Amino acid sequence: VTDRPVPVPDDTSGPFWQAADEGRLAVAHCSVCHHAIHPPAPVCPACGATEPAYVFRAVSGRGVVRSWTVLRQAFLPGFADDLPVVLVDVALEGTDDLRLIGRLMYAPADGLRLGAAVEVAFEHLDDGSAIPAFALAPEGEAAT
Amino acid sequence: VKEGFAARSKVAIVGYSHSPVVKSFGRPLGAVAVEVARDAIADAGLRPQDVDGFCASALLPTSGDHASVDGVTMVTPNWLAAQLGVNPRYATGFQGYGQLPGSVALAVNALVSGAADYVLVHRALHNPVGKSYNASGRLDARGDLQWTMPQGFFGPLPMIGMLANEYCQRHGATREDLGAIVVEARKNGARLPWSVWHDRPIDLDDYLAAPLISDPVCRLDCDMPVDGVACFVLTTAERAGDLPNKPVYVAAYAGGAPTRHRLPLHWPLDDVYEVGAETARRLWSRAGIGPGDVDLPQLYDGFSPFVWLWLEVLGFCPVGEAHRFVSGGGIDSDVPGALPALSGGGALGNGRMHGVPQMLECYRQLAGRAGARQRDASVAVACHASPHLGGAVVYATEPI
Repeated sequence: VTDRPVPVPDDTSGPFWQAADEGRLAVAHCSVCHHAIHPPAPVCPACGATEPAYVFRAVSGRGVVRSWTVLRQAFLPGFADDLPVVLVDVALEGTDDLRLIGRLMYAPADGLRLGAAVEVAFEHLDDGSAIPAFALAPEGEAAT
Repeated sequence: VKEGFAARSKVAIVGYSHSPVVKSFGRPLGAVAVEVARDAIADAGLRPQDVDGFCASALLPTSGDHASVDGVTMVTPNWLAAQLGVNPRYATGFQGYGQLPGSVALAVNALVSGAADYVLVHRALHNPVGKSYNASGRLDARGDLQWTMPQGFFGPLPMIGMLANEYCQRHGATREDLGAIVVEARKNGARLPWSVWHDRPIDLDDYLAAPLISDPVCRLDCDMPVDGVACFVLTTAERAGDLPNKPVYVAAYAGGAPTRHRLPLHWPLDDVYEVGAETARRLWSRAGIGPGDVDLPQLYDGFSPFVWLWLEVLGFCPVGEAHRFVSGGGIDSDVPGALPALSGGGALGNGRMHGVPQMLECYRQLAGRAGARQRDASVAVACHASPHLGGAVVYATEPI
């Protein structure tokens, strides 16, 4: 995977991307109300805290598919050779409908269904950064 | 819950003009906007110096790497006022989505409060040169984009593909059902001499042959980027009586905004339903009528699936049924008794004019100025954008 857009961490998001590089999904939690928040926002969307002082905690990475789409045209550099790309909208287990969008790895969209169980996986870019993605969970491990 | 709405039917549209809708004007957008503005003001029986209010959104609708230059690729209310030689008592821009209902709302508020007596609402849309309208060459995903751009979730196509697929999977809708929307829009758009799609209707086979871009959305589900300008002149109901055209009253407007924190451009179906229901409640409460009183709904179709969502949230059919309703001929503009929800061609039949085709059709039909396409209608609704962040306006031939 070459010359794809890479995440540029900001003052808040560094630990998220650091964890991803280490193969872990660590989600921001508001230190006031302890809700998982993604993406981290200047004011906590759950409790309104103006100093949420986010703590990034590892989560299971399991979740269920709420929707998906298949990209057949590249609007960004570095995707053309990978088409078609399946992107899934995943609700993480143990959260209040917290969603992540990532690539579905190792499987086509055929046979995908709403509610399918997935678990976090990672795409590894040439610059060394890792991007959270998902893979179908083994049968019988359905989450939430 | 009943809402007090002091502006109900207190403002009317009294004139309009619009440009042809084309791939490119080949000259600055602002030059065309000034011509259209002068024409609309004259149509209302006014002179430019009579107009003391300017309300619009200037957004250049593109996710690609394009510069915004006032008067060239976009047109702000202040820029337009200056070119018309007016020092406006009131000039302001609408910042949200649903730019046209939002601009109408600003105009209504200005007129009812007395901040202005005659307001020009305009929308000027520009199609940047080059094929890669939505593409970006950026390799650094900064700010909000860091959460979605590295994954390839970028721009409006994956956004609408994700939403449309959730609808299709949940409710059992198909590409043929999406095609029914597009065929209806293009049929009506083909009848409009100003449209970029004039005389170019399509059938379902054409639709199904179009390349998919972000499943289930194909190229024909997306409105064509264009250059185009439309202007409307609004004033108070009292003043409207002294002007040459039959007034079309603004009965009510409503809009809303997402209540849940999401990734950029992530629009889960339930978010759309939840916020859209509140927008609809506000709209009907303020207008004092319901969906059964509307004979000319004009639903937003910048991407075809929005038509299903507006049909459902506004109560024209039950949630989950819109795809069957449309495919069964429910919005066929040529069938007496059907809901002519795309009779004005919509964005799919006109080009990417945002909410203009919807507002234009409501105005022309209710003012009796639709020519050979004139319908018998007295209450209309113009929608724009997604129901969970856009808005809608109820228009009527008589004060409600």
